[in-house]
Amino acid sequence: MSNLPSPLPFGKKLIDSKYRSADFLGALAIFSWGLLLVKYAVTGQYQLLIHPNYFYLMLVTGIILILLGLLKTYQLSKRKLSVSSEEQHLTIFPPGVGSSLLLITAIAGLLISPNVLTSKTALQRGVTETLPSTRSQPQEFVNRTRPEDRTLIDWVRTLNAYPEPDAYSGQKAQLEGFVIRLPELPANYLLLSRFILNCCAVDAYPVFIPVELPPDVPAYPADTWLKVSGKMTTQNLVIDVVQDRNIIRNSSRDNSLEARAKRRLVLKAEQTQKIPTPRNPYRYQ
Amino acid sequence: MSQLHNVFTLFLSLLVEAMPFLLFGVVLSSSLLLLVDEQKLITVLPKNPFLGALVGSCIGFLFPVCECGNIPVARRLLTKGVAPGVAIAFLLAAPTINPVVIWSTWVAFRGQPEIVILRVVFSLIIAVSVGCLFGWGANIVELLQPRLAKRFLFRQSNQVDSLSLTTPVGDISKLMQSGTYLLGESGQSLFPSPLTSEQTLASQAPKAIKWQQFLQNVAQELQELGGMLVIGSAIAATIQVFVPREIVFGLGQSPITSILAMMLLAAIVSICSTVDAFFALSFVSTFSSGSLLAFLVFGPTIDIKALGLMLSIFRPKVIIYLFIIIAQLTFAMTFVYNYFFAGF
Repeated sequence: MSNLPSPLPFGKKLIDSKYRSADFLGALAIFSWGLLLVKYAVTGQYQLLIHPNYFYLMLVTGIILILLGLLKTYQLSKRKLSVSSEEQHLTIFPPGVGSSLLLITAIAGLLISPNVLTSKTALQRGVTETLPSTRSQPQEFVNRTRPEDRTLIDWVRTLNAYPEPDAYSGQKAQLEGFVIRLPELPANYLLLSRFILNCCAVDAYPVFIPVELPPDVPAYPADTWLKVSGKMTTQNLVIDVVQDRNIIRNSSRDNSLEARAKRRLVLKAEQTQKIPTPRNPYRYQ
Repeated sequence: MSQLHNVFTLFLSLLVEAMPFLLFGVVLSSSLLLLVDEQKLITVLPKNPFLGALVGSCIGFLFPVCECGNIPVARRLLTKGVAPGVAIAFLLAAPTINPVVIWSTWVAFRGQPEIVILRVVFSLIIAVSVGCLFGWGANIVELLQPRLAKRFLFRQSNQVDSLSLTTPVGDISKLMQSGTYLLGESGQSLFPSPLTSEQTLASQAPKAIKWQQFLQNVAQELQELGGMLVIGSAIAATIQVFVPREIVFGLGQSPITSILAMMLLAAIVSICSTVDAFFALSFVSTFSSGSLLAFLVFGPTIDIKALGLMLSIFRPKVIIYLFIIIAQLTFAMTFVYNYFFAGF
């Protein structure tokens, strides 16, 4: 009888080996998350996910996670039993579930690249012509920038600072962005749009400038990236998708086209050119 | 298919954004485990529930973490035997009342300093009142998520003996005799703080073991809370893609529904509090300042992403209570602000 192993150490051993494999899985999960973050940093794909301000934060986190994963694996391989297996009982998942979730996410992230937000997302989020920015900024920039050097975002910012469209009529402009098509616009009109990120893709919001195409130009499908040059004009346009459309609709009972139309700055295109989707399609606040 | 890809992209963007803050919080929480002498900490913390809650709210100033980072810290504080009122006040206040968040809110709302100030004030009021509420009435074991509670009890029963050896009873009896909040019948020493075995390790064990334990804890919490973060972010991203924001905006027209809409948005979007001010900024033109405040006050305390993390501390019932109380307080305060001060 005395040479039989007592039940307690035997059970403990089983539990320990179960936790041990979960520990290895955890180390692997942490390591692969580090790898994923470093991959985003190296390939530049982070630009599709977060504001570049957080680049170093992400890179350092990635490196720490890789080191942590390696260190943890080293520790596990040297040790026979876990130091404090008691700590493990804290988990709200059964052992290994949390790390499996992390591992699966990291592998999916390593395999599938993030996509560029499209016009569909823009319409879902509600495009806007206004930009929230600190009030002092726009003025400086109006003085500094020649009209033809302004980007789409610069234009929206400038408009934001001084919203009278007539003030810009006749100015030259060259803009790049993707196409949003709206059913309420005539066929030769489109919205040229870009997303702006404050912190990450979750809060990306689209801004736009309406464009009137020359009559001979083919209708570009939604999400085509275009470089458009021409002159700014003022026109009355109905654009329902802007964020404040509820306000417009409710303030007047008259739902006719005339009532919904608003005087807007429109780029009358002289030249349009398809361009490839930029590597870095977003602009940052 | 492209919609699914969008969900995946947003999901990753939430995770990539939150991961550094989560790591920071976990490292902080693990170093708390090793560095902070919880006996001292508990002695220093005021026993009065109101003062305790007030102090708990301000601990956030020492730990600049957002809501994904402060939950591991709050959990650690609870298991170290800090009163639930203090820990809950910390949990609710820390994501807002810390230098990084105040700074980022200031950067975003430089034009409207009242938003920055009221964000801090309202969050403080909420954290202190909820902290008091739990400080006076609650039995901690009933609040905690069952496994955590079990561990809490397990540690406590294990440590009575070892403690009586190391600490003269006379020293602890005055400060540490139970109030109404912890387990105890009156007069029983509360001192058996739940992590004393670790604490003993921390003070006596050789450096190598301390270091190993630190590493073990970081990895452990990272896996567990990371797993919860994955689930929360997946839900948040799915809702974002499949529920059009227009529906939320449609609500945003009256002083009442605009506040409710922004609170809903805060819960759905689940951005870290360190960066949410910039997000709120994009609604300045469409929404009242009161509703922006509601977003900034409510978002850091309750959101879908953090819900998973909170489930690792509390029972679901407690989270529902917390949710209802915080939502009502946020609504009441921002509503008053909307009507009387912002001239909506």
